[in-house]
Amino acid sequence: MFEQVKNYLSVAVFAFLGGIARAGLNASFNFYGTFWGNIIGCFLLAFFTYFFFEFKDFYEWITVGIGTGFIGAFTTFSTFNLEVLKNFQAGKPSIALLYFFSSIVFGFAFAFLGSRMGTNLGKILTRED
Amino acid sequence: MNLLLAGLGASLGAMLRYFFTNYGKKHWEKIGNKYSNLPFPTLFINLTGAFILGFIFSIGVPPFFYALVGTGVLGGYTTFSTLNTELVSLFHDRDYRIFILYALTSYLGGLFLVYVGFYLGKLF
Repeated sequence: MFEQVKNYLSVAVFAFLGGIARAGLNASFNFYGTFWGNIIGCFLLAFFTYFFFEFKDFYEWITVGIGTGFIGAFTTFSTFNLEVLKNFQAGKPSIALLYFFSSIVFGFAFAFLGSRMGTNLGKILTRED
Repeated sequence: MNLLLAGLGASLGAMLRYFFTNYGKKHWEKIGNKYSNLPFPTLFINLTGAFILGFIFSIGVPPFFYALVGTGVLGGYTTFSTLNTELVSLFHDRDYRIFILYALTSYLGGLFLVYVGFYLGKLF
């Protein structure tokens, strides 16, 4: 019970920061901010997820706070879709399609890269010899 | 000010996402089993979030409300990074069938539902 409350609080605090960071990027760079936030977030979440796999039983409130809270709130799926729609409605179908497909391709590519780097660094740091 | 509202909303949205993810892992297993490894909680979260944001955007809400609920709650509720980390996990597991199914339902479904929400909002 106490563990769960601690996890929820951690998610809330970290998501507050992640949400502000994303809103700041969006206010400064419009949908380019969302794009880069999402791509960087994909790399970071995959990196941390696979990095912490190598550390058994690491503090859950920290991994949940960083992963689900900060990075989860830093990236967004709803605004991404709305911005594709907005570009279509603004009569910019080529930008809308470029934004849509590059987010899909780069999102996966950077998450894949992050998973590999996270696993490798985790293995190096936990190696016992 | 709008940044703070977005942050507060994101706290709520992320807690909601955390709740649905935990709840889904426990109680939606039957749906999950049917399609083996499909990450149903995140799919549900992202599709509902895209729909609601399309709706809120089209009915036209005051800027502070959009910052709190649109950018904040729905932005923190939905997630792009978890979707892609789950896709990477399916790829590493060589579960290509579910990988394709998850990618298609997320991206085509998200775009479709943001439009449905948008045109539904136009009716109000």
